[in-house]
Amino acid sequence: MNIPAGRRRWGRRLAAVIALQLTTAAPGLADEPWAERTQALGATTEMPTGTLSRADLDRLTETGKALFEANFTTLDGVGRPGATQAIDPTRRKHPRQQAFFRTAGPDAGSCAACHNQPASGGAGDFVANVFASEGFESADFDSLDPQFSSERGTNHLFGAGLVELLAREMSLELQSRRNEALSKARDTGKTVRLSLTAKGIDFGFISADPDGSVNLDELDGVDTDLVIRPFTQKGVMTSLRQFTVNALNHHHGMQADERFGARWTGSDDFDGDGKTGEITAGDVSALVAWQATLPAPVRMVPEIDGWAEAAARGEENFAQFGCTSCHRPALPLESLSFADPGPFDQAGTLNDRQVGAKAIYDIALLDWAEALPRDTEGRVLVPLYGDLKRHVMTDNQIDALGNELLSQRFVDRNIFQTAELWGVGSTQPYGHRNDFSSLDEIILAHGGNGRQARDAYEAAADDEKSALIAFLKTLVIVP
Amino acid sequence: MMKFASLLALAAVSLTALGPNAQAQSDFTADVPILHEEAASAGIDQSYTGGWEFFVGGGAASFDCNGDRLPDLLIAGGSSPAKFYVNESKTGGSFSFAPVDTGLKPEDLTRVLGAYPLDIDNDRHTDLVLLRLGRNLVLKGGPGCRFEKANRAFSIDGGRAWSTAMSAIWERGSRFPTIAIGNYVDRSAPGTPFGTCEPNQLLRPSAGDLPDYSDPLKLEPGYCALSLLFTDWNRSGQPDLRITNDRQYYRGGEEQLWQMTEGRPPRLYTASQGWQRLTVWGMGIAETDFDADGLPEYALTSMGDTKLQKLDEEAGEDRPTYRDIAYERGATAHRPYAGGDAKPSTGWHSRFADINNDTRTDLFIAKGNVQAMPDFASYDPDNLLLGGFDDTFYEKGMEAGIALNTRGRGAIIEDFNMDGMLDLLVVNREHPASLFRNLGAATDWGHRPLGNWVKIELDNGKINPSAVGALISVRTGTRTQTRRIQVGGGHASGQAGFTHVGLGVSERATIRVQWPDGEWSHPYRVFANQHVRIIRGEANARYWYPVAQ
Repeated sequence: MNIPAGRRRWGRRLAAVIALQLTTAAPGLADEPWAERTQALGATTEMPTGTLSRADLDRLTETGKALFEANFTTLDGVGRPGATQAIDPTRRKHPRQQAFFRTAGPDAGSCAACHNQPASGGAGDFVANVFASEGFESADFDSLDPQFSSERGTNHLFGAGLVELLAREMSLELQSRRNEALSKARDTGKTVRLSLTAKGIDFGFISADPDGSVNLDELDGVDTDLVIRPFTQKGVMTSLRQFTVNALNHHHGMQADERFGARWTGSDDFDGDGKTGEITAGDVSALVAWQATLPAPVRMVPEIDGWAEAAARGEENFAQFGCTSCHRPALPLESLSFADPGPFDQAGTLNDRQVGAKAIYDIALLDWAEALPRDTEGRVLVPLYGDLKRHVMTDNQIDALGNELLSQRFVDRNIFQTAELWGVGSTQPYGHRNDFSSLDEIILAHGGNGRQARDAYEAAADDEKSALIAFLKTLVIVP
Repeated sequence: MMKFASLLALAAVSLTALGPNAQAQSDFTADVPILHEEAASAGIDQSYTGGWEFFVGGGAASFDCNGDRLPDLLIAGGSSPAKFYVNESKTGGSFSFAPVDTGLKPEDLTRVLGAYPLDIDNDRHTDLVLLRLGRNLVLKGGPGCRFEKANRAFSIDGGRAWSTAMSAIWERGSRFPTIAIGNYVDRSAPGTPFGTCEPNQLLRPSAGDLPDYSDPLKLEPGYCALSLLFTDWNRSGQPDLRITNDRQYYRGGEEQLWQMTEGRPPRLYTASQGWQRLTVWGMGIAETDFDADGLPEYALTSMGDTKLQKLDEEAGEDRPTYRDIAYERGATAHRPYAGGDAKPSTGWHSRFADINNDTRTDLFIAKGNVQAMPDFASYDPDNLLLGGFDDTFYEKGMEAGIALNTRGRGAIIEDFNMDGMLDLLVVNREHPASLFRNLGAATDWGHRPLGNWVKIELDNGKINPSAVGALISVRTGTRTQTRRIQVGGGHASGQAGFTHVGLGVSERATIRVQWPDGEWSHPYRVFANQHVRIIRGEANARYWYPVAQ
């Protein structure tokens, strides 16, 4: 069996710790080194604080990776017989016998069971689709009928740390603009209407009244609190930390203390599986650290005759067709310091006001970060091919992406966040339901705000379309 | 009465050992808010003083008088003048209040027992009704915290009674509110004070474009009211008038529920209609609706145990028969939890609120000996009963820091520094008022914020702009919480402004409003930790932000 060196080191450390435990306490079955439990759980005994050195960050991300790849067991607390998949702790009306349930979840033994294309942290094939539902009422559904849930493809997480950092800076920019409008309105005694832009992306307008009220009717593609939520197909999750806490419960029935613990539910075993304290804040931190430091996807042209030329032409077409109006090739990022917990999460996911000190993961310490392009001001140009904004994706003629019946977290059924195309060459199939087998098909499925670019593509000559595909296939994940 | 009180004390002590809450005190796992007393540094210095007429009362009013939406204050002084304070606190910071000259004469502000804010003339400036020993005053609010006496303009006589309670509601079709005034002992009656309770008063507006209350109704019999509340107890859409009365002085009296019918004089509910005789030293009424079923529960403060009344499901529909669930919920609060005094408590102001933002309803009770009643606790700290996830209450006053040796009376639970965490003002008899800032939960590194919250302001339009009588329904996940916009209740203390709802770990909420005329709004989708304005007829909610600091 080929065990990576990191894992071997990890295993030796764990073995030492467990050996110590065995000498000081009567061993239960779960304490044996070969016990069917995840040894990385609880290994991060304290949440990290301060700016981590490269070595400390490596140790933390190693644990995070182990947790991401772990197949959780009943000894860990997998399953949630007494709780639903809802993001707010919600008790089930009737306990469920089976630990796993393909549609309503828990539907996976590990994170990597779905996020594995082309490597851990990657996307998932159609078979790894998830079924998103609020999980408050009708928590159990045994039908694939979209009236009960929205079937979604598994997104990749490469570069996710940069995405969250972009979102934080954009949120700050939008909220500063709101403050500016309010200040002007109070100073002038008149209603002030200002455009909302962040990193060059247009998010509509905000109107502020002298009494401190703001009218939010003209917002476009962002939530009313002006927080960019960059994760999920819908763009409704604020942070890797929030998504991690949600997903651990939804997909594995592993409940994090910071939301499902006694502070918020009155119980250390909210899901009623007999396991208390399933996921500590330190465990979540390790998982976040690993995801946040996953390398950004890159651009790599296969060494095949003609591909480079085609890709270059295709990149020009990408702009000419109007694709870049939403799939922005790069967004500038001021800082590579990833704070965890972050600033925009709210109670139920730890944020920087809920802890004495936060940790800083300096992404600049990582080898892959050296290759990130920078502009003349020294800002990193994050090549995500996205805008972190939500758009209407259907119209009366083109409505293939309007196949959902449920809105999600106040976002209508046919509105989705622009998919970041970095890594698209490694994450077939495509679309929010993962049901478009080719790039050509998903391009032609763009309606609504994407209609103009889609029509330009459709009208182009076949070799120009082909060139565009050649370009998109150069956007790959290299783990 | 004293013999009875002694018996009550004994009963209270015996209750203590067996209360369900006693065993479970250690099981409370939610945040306990740390309430830091900072009245002096905030600039508030007001004591409630005077002779036996001021053994009761001692209220305050919280409302915005200068248009910045921060809650300003009026604090009664009894024999001393009531004081107005304008709120200059920074968002999330320490408190700062400045005395404000309202243009009123000091003699108008003396002999004030309490006050309730409401916009009587629909001009979007909050007015005040001052409950006084003698002539009650109606103060018409204007810009910049200016007030002028409006008894004549509104044709409100003000009377000569010893007024101790008030409630108001816009009756259907009325342009202006109906105001009920609760009166205490008739000091001029033969044999006073025992058995000489003054009738209460109902002021219904005459038809017209201006408030005209020249034709008041007497609500007889009066049983020495100390708290009134218009309440839709049976979700009929027609609020009735609930009155809690002080058995200390009435003879043959009881708690009262007046049936309100438009255009007709109110009628008392009778035993044949299901109203059960209950006699308490009624000091304050607080309303909540634990399960959001539209049938409210009520806390009644008294000497000895607090009552927590729930409509008896077995009594039949539309019968106001209540059972007391205080014991099973751990809310009797019948004797002090700190200080070593085992005698029964004396409860005054009460109010339900979510003080730790965990979505569970909490209950505050101001406590304090009447003056020096020997059979009742002398050191009688205010209660902070935090609602647990097991639907029982847990006393956390000591841990929170409010267990002071003061004689509490009226109180205001309000977010004075606009950080989403409810703060607390307690008016004390013969002692400076206490002003507690909610710092959040204690940790080994400082204080951390509590759960999520939303604060809601309603705009009902030209008539009844602040939507008194409206019901706010806040949905998060499977949980629905409701709040009723009311004027009245508590002990001589009222508040107007944003309505606070704790959201726990929910980052979104869906709000629906049942406007005072009964019409339900469409759902408004809002994010947590926002001040929300819902303007009737608008498609989307607006947010409001305090001045950036």
